Amino acid sequence: MFQHPRAALFLCALSLFAAGEALGQQQTAAAGENIYDMNCAQCHGEKLANAGITFDLKRLKAADRPRFENSVLNGKGQMPPWRGVLKESDIEALWTYIRANANE
Amino acid sequence: MRSNNHIGLLALASFFAACGSAPAFAQSAADLLNDPKNTQSVLTYGMGYKAQRHSALKQINRGNVKNLVAAWAYSMTDQTGLEAQPLVHDGIIYITNHNRTAAVDGVTGKEIWRNNLDYAPELLRIVCCGIVNRGSALFNGKLIRTTLDNRILAMDAKTGKEVWSAKSDADYTKGYSMTVAPLVANGVVITGVAGAEFGIRGFLEGYDAETGKFLWRRYTIPAKGEKGSETWPGDSAETGGGSTWVTGSYDPDLDLVFWGIGNPAPWNPRGRKGDNLYTNSIIAVKPKTGEVAWVTQASPEDPYDHDGVNSLVQAEIKTGGETRKVVMQAHRNGFLYVLDRATGKPIAVNPFVEVNWASGWDYAKGRPIWTDVTIKAQAGEKVNVFPSNYGGTNWFPMSYDPSANLLFINTNAMGMEYQAPEPVKVVAGQPAFGVTTKPIAPEFRGHLKAVDPMTGKAKWSVPFKHINTAGTMNTAGGLVFTGQLSGEFMALDAANGKLLWQFQTPSGIISQPITWEKNGVQYVTVGSGIGGVYAMRVAGPSLGNVPTGSTLWTFKLHGK
Repeated sequence: MFQHPRAALFLCALSLFAAGEALGQQQTAAAGENIYDMNCAQCHGEKLANAGITFDLKRLKAADRPRFENSVLNGKGQMPPWRGVLKESDIEALWTYIRANANE
Repeated sequence: MRSNNHIGLLALASFFAACGSAPAFAQSAADLLNDPKNTQSVLTYGMGYKAQRHSALKQINRGNVKNLVAAWAYSMTDQTGLEAQPLVHDGIIYITNHNRTAAVDGVTGKEIWRNNLDYAPELLRIVCCGIVNRGSALFNGKLIRTTLDNRILAMDAKTGKEVWSAKSDADYTKGYSMTVAPLVANGVVITGVAGAEFGIRGFLEGYDAETGKFLWRRYTIPAKGEKGSETWPGDSAETGGGSTWVTGSYDPDLDLVFWGIGNPAPWNPRGRKGDNLYTNSIIAVKPKTGEVAWVTQASPEDPYDHDGVNSLVQAEIKTGGETRKVVMQAHRNGFLYVLDRATGKPIAVNPFVEVNWASGWDYAKGRPIWTDVTIKAQAGEKVNVFPSNYGGTNWFPMSYDPSANLLFINTNAMGMEYQAPEPVKVVAGQPAFGVTTKPIAPEFRGHLKAVDPMTGKAKWSVPFKHINTAGTMNTAGGLVFTGQLSGEFMALDAANGKLLWQFQTPSGIISQPITWEKNGVQYVTVGSGIGGVYAMRVAGPSLGNVPTGSTLWTFKLHGK
């Protein structure tokens, strides 16, 4: 299939890297789920199942990352600010979990 | 002459005090004792010290309730849940939520005064189960309430001006918050605290109702070396939970306050092997001192968050040829406890919903009989448990009809898949769970049941798709009032559960209805405003996107 053995090797390495990255994403999403269960589920709904009383996080789109972070850090409406409690890596994990379950 | 006048005045004063109607003695200790009999006012949480939520009023009854119409609605200007029970005195209604205390003319709905409260926004990180307040207390012209940041405030009921303010030595950054309606008993304001999901050490406190002076604190979990501390390994007691976030009741003859103590922390039981005294217990204390008369534990070493703070209703029940003075609790663990008020000794313990974590109560040993489900859960295995962590019922109070000897309870049929994988350490102020749970939801999750206290069996039961997280109230007019999360305020026939009337309020009902009268007209008052842990965390999209926004509603018969 591959005319050049080196190209084959390169692609093979690339797909391994991609698999590794996917695994990393999964781990991040799992970490995010745990953070969500502990801190967010009581208002936003068990496993992101939202009754419409608070903001449905599954509505967040890929481009909403900055406003998501802003709301988490500074609070919004009845939501308390999480600055100083959730680290940047926690917010990234939460975002990965939410996006993995988002509507679109 | 002068002294004669004084004697005359004294006689007059004692006459009025005895009648409980003199303005100068408004909401005196005597008035509070008389609360359930005086249908013009609702001075206490529970509509009387027995917390029966039963009214002798019958102008509105099963024959004419279809003619009930709204008299007015009052906006709380707020999106959080409205759980509070209103109070009524002299035709004025007092209502509270997380950031407002207000007095409203009960006939016209016109606001008389309102006070707003501020608190640090980060406080809401440790409010596990809804940004709420459950109500207030009245005493000698003062309206008394607690705040999320653990203050106890007394306001002039006429003007709303502060009379005194006290601060509990409890820090919200360590997980403590107050959502409870205080109880005034024997001149003492009793308050409890929330936060067992954040590793608090729970307590009850007493404050002088006239001055706000701190009188006592009674921890619900013993300190090292105290009796009961041997039921907590290592340092686990220091963050052991045992919150007290639902108002108890008071027996003035015994001079005892009964209060429910909540779950141990963390939910995961594997790092706190032992009975974990006095979590999930009913406690009786002397209001003047906080001295403990008795404690009865319902769920030792609870792994399930069967947080037994539920309402405590007193009654005189005929059983075995005698009349027993009892206090009753439909516990989150699914059993209905009927205890002797003087001793705390269980007279009857029977399930009022499906229960599989225990097969019954061992009266000789004074403890539940665990099934394999609980033995496996304690060992870290995955199990299906009934009731779930939301309980067979929850904080929303039941009511009691003394003539029919029935309790009206909004119940929850849900179970859960549960596992406590590895023991976890608790840090005060941090979430204390350490378990995985997954709801098991039958088609009809909720039932309003009319339950025989001595058997736990339902005389009638009305199913609902979602549970009703509102209190119940019943009247001599043969009616039971309660509400749905989807906003319907309902009157049902107390004899058979038949729906006789309902009214669609703008939001979900999670509050506690009351009834009262003025100038010969009977009124029914209830809050609408969705919130609370079931609606937000558990209900999910099938609840149907109920609008938020809290309002207080009052109803009367058409033409009255």
